[in-house]
Amino acid sequence: MKNPDAIVIGAGIVGASSALSLTNAGLKVLVIDRGAVSSGTTGAGEGNILVSDKDPGPELTLALHSRNLWFEMQEDVGDSFELEAKGGVVVARRDDGPLMKLATEQSHHGVTIEKCNETRLHELEPYLHPDISSGVFYPQDAQCQPMLAAAHVIRTVVQRGGEFISQAKVTRIIVEDCAVVGIETTRGTFRVPIIVNATGTWAGELAELAGSYLPIAPRKGFILVTEPTKKYIFHKVYDSDYVANVASSDADLQTSTVVEGTRSGTILIGASRERVGFDGAMSYEILRTLAAQATSLFPVLRDVQLLRAYRGFRPYAPDHLPVIGQDAKVKGLWHSAGHEGAGIGLAPGSAALITDAILGRDSFMDGAAFSPARFATVNS
Amino acid sequence: MIIVIGAGPAGLAAAEAASRNGSEVALIDSSSRLGGQYWRHRSKVTGYRSNRADEIFAKVSAAQSITHISEANIWSAEREGNLIRVNYLQGGIESSLTAEKVIIATGAYDRTLPFPGWDTPGSMTPGAAQSLLKGQGVLVGKRIIVAGTGPFLLPVATGLAEAGAEIVALIDANSPLRWSLSPLALLTNITKFSELVYYVRLMRKFRIRPHFGRAVTTFANGVATISAVNSGFHIKSGKSQAMRADVVAVGWGFVPDLSLGGILGCAQRVDSDGTVIFEVDENQLSSQPQIWIAGEATGIGGADLSLIEGEIAGLAASGQKIRHALLTERVRKQRFANALKRSYPVRDGWREWITSNTTICRCEEVKSQEIKDSVSELGAEDSRTSKLFTRAGMGLCQGRMCSRNVSEIVSGITQCAVTDGERIAASNRPIAAPISLGQLSDGKNSR
Repeated sequence: MKNPDAIVIGAGIVGASSALSLTNAGLKVLVIDRGAVSSGTTGAGEGNILVSDKDPGPELTLALHSRNLWFEMQEDVGDSFELEAKGGVVVARRDDGPLMKLATEQSHHGVTIEKCNETRLHELEPYLHPDISSGVFYPQDAQCQPMLAAAHVIRTVVQRGGEFISQAKVTRIIVEDCAVVGIETTRGTFRVPIIVNATGTWAGELAELAGSYLPIAPRKGFILVTEPTKKYIFHKVYDSDYVANVASSDADLQTSTVVEGTRSGTILIGASRERVGFDGAMSYEILRTLAAQATSLFPVLRDVQLLRAYRGFRPYAPDHLPVIGQDAKVKGLWHSAGHEGAGIGLAPGSAALITDAILGRDSFMDGAAFSPARFATVNS
Repeated sequence: MIIVIGAGPAGLAAAEAASRNGSEVALIDSSSRLGGQYWRHRSKVTGYRSNRADEIFAKVSAAQSITHISEANIWSAEREGNLIRVNYLQGGIESSLTAEKVIIATGAYDRTLPFPGWDTPGSMTPGAAQSLLKGQGVLVGKRIIVAGTGPFLLPVATGLAEAGAEIVALIDANSPLRWSLSPLALLTNITKFSELVYYVRLMRKFRIRPHFGRAVTTFANGVATISAVNSGFHIKSGKSQAMRADVVAVGWGFVPDLSLGGILGCAQRVDSDGTVIFEVDENQLSSQPQIWIAGEATGIGGADLSLIEGEIAGLAASGQKIRHALLTERVRKQRFANALKRSYPVRDGWREWITSNTTICRCEEVKSQEIKDSVSELGAEDSRTSKLFTRAGMGLCQGRMCSRNVSEIVSGITQCAVTDGERIAASNRPIAAPISLGQLSDGKNSR
């Protein structure tokens, strides 16, 4: 592609959905990635599309809209990528007060909730530990296979006149008079007035190439994958501690139980969070902790074999909110990054926001809370 | 203490050598008996110079300072300060052992190539046919075709014949003339001729006919197609024949198991034959302090080379002097091992043997067409992305069997050579053997 209208950097789910949304708005879009499609955090994700784990506020507004856009995107692209509104079940092991309070607040914000007594809870999840007697059901929570989704979305972009170039590492962002005019990559130089930085955990490095700044840091997490089993887990089930851990700014390790089945019969178990840079080392202690927590929630899992474990790096922003909007210093450089563990769920919503902002049209919500400028004021 | 992992030729030699100065050795193996895959036996080992096995079994069994931990499956290993902890499952219970030093001698398993029918009953690897015979005394069939490439087919075919099977054919895709590429290796390993003579005599005795430049390219309902192939493994047209057999045992050399060394961070490289192996120094020391590696995981070379590498590793780990003669002997055997790689290459013409419907990943039942679509439709560029889209390599064996073949198929479509990085990444797995979540959880409580 000679002169694209916009270049999206990053072929994960955030970049893919941004490219689709810009393409559908009539732009000629080139997507580039330094690796293959889904080769970063998207390729290490569980495919969470959650509203249940968000506190009331702008992120929840984004999550609710984005969740609906996922189903629209599925229709638009014409492939299922295993998208399923399976629903989430959040259980309280000890005091259920904070969970019930959060659920009430969320319901005022438009989230569908169902507070469950013991009977209802065990009807939803028959294999749950008998001692667990209180929880909340969130029917809007959904799951997809994120790598397939990104691949199908990019394929659609290409079918509609866009282009995708893999193995293209950005070596320079050409900025003139504080505005983007082009980029140099290992696979060619392009003149372009609009760049969308969808490089997730690596978004800070890209901002730096343009002479700007974004405080995105990796927050490492492990996922355990079991052998295929009989259906033991019917929803995405997690411990109410999870919400507190997601919101924690502590660099040290936090673990909380998240258990779910997949279409292929395997069970995925998370979630650990720690900020240790890009250190990819395997920690068997963390695997043991995650296994202990999962089996205490579902004792039936004790006899299920662990086949593999993998890790990924979530793009962490210090205030836990994604960064969506134009760079504070460089015109034409747009960021959509820093979604931490919610990138899959928030991807189409973020894409809609950034497209509306680029085209200068009204959007479904005020994205001011996500503006990159919030960091610029602190650091300039 | 020194932990030796694996009780095949390399591990036995390492344990025996280390015990010579009284060093405490724990020899851990997944089998109930000593010998590994190659010397797996019921009573007495048979085959060429099998007395070597009996000698070393006797020495290891007699050594006071060697403890044999059998039927133990190691699933992980980790560093704890100056010690290395090895976590294993034995009788359904997780245990662990720590030591200052570890020798990894985990050997290799058969390499398989897919072809139509390779996943049907009656099709197996030569290693599987041999270990069923040696381990359980089970003869896998009456009429057997042994095929693939490499000298390992000889002991398998003759062993099965001795046990009463009719070997319909012994088929090697390569030509024996390829040995002419390695005159020096042959001259310096002249004793290997007596091994060849030993097997040729047995083949005459059992009327086993060798065929060269041919391969089993389909197998269904007791009928195998034997196709003539050129040096690139491309099928020569009009030169196929059908052969009846109830079993085809097809193997294409070996793939070392790198899981444990990989978990411990030992550096790896790609060998001349495309196999990923560990980097070791002249004392078999890996890139990681306190960890030595011997045998197939440092380059496929057979039992002779494994014995010497094991001995060197055992001596080095226990701080004993290594005779210069031993090092020269290793050079000689390595030369022969390299000649083996030159003489029995696996060429990528096999990609034409498969059809769109051929299963590539047996665990997850992924067909060849799905791999192709993941590249042409979804943009997969290597075995990892193809795996994410198709699940090839995500099943029980974790890609041990198929990931290399998936890489080659993807590379055939993209026309980009498989990179060393991809080969190395696909050879490493953080969980070396399956462990139940209950066992994993209990391990936490016991610490």
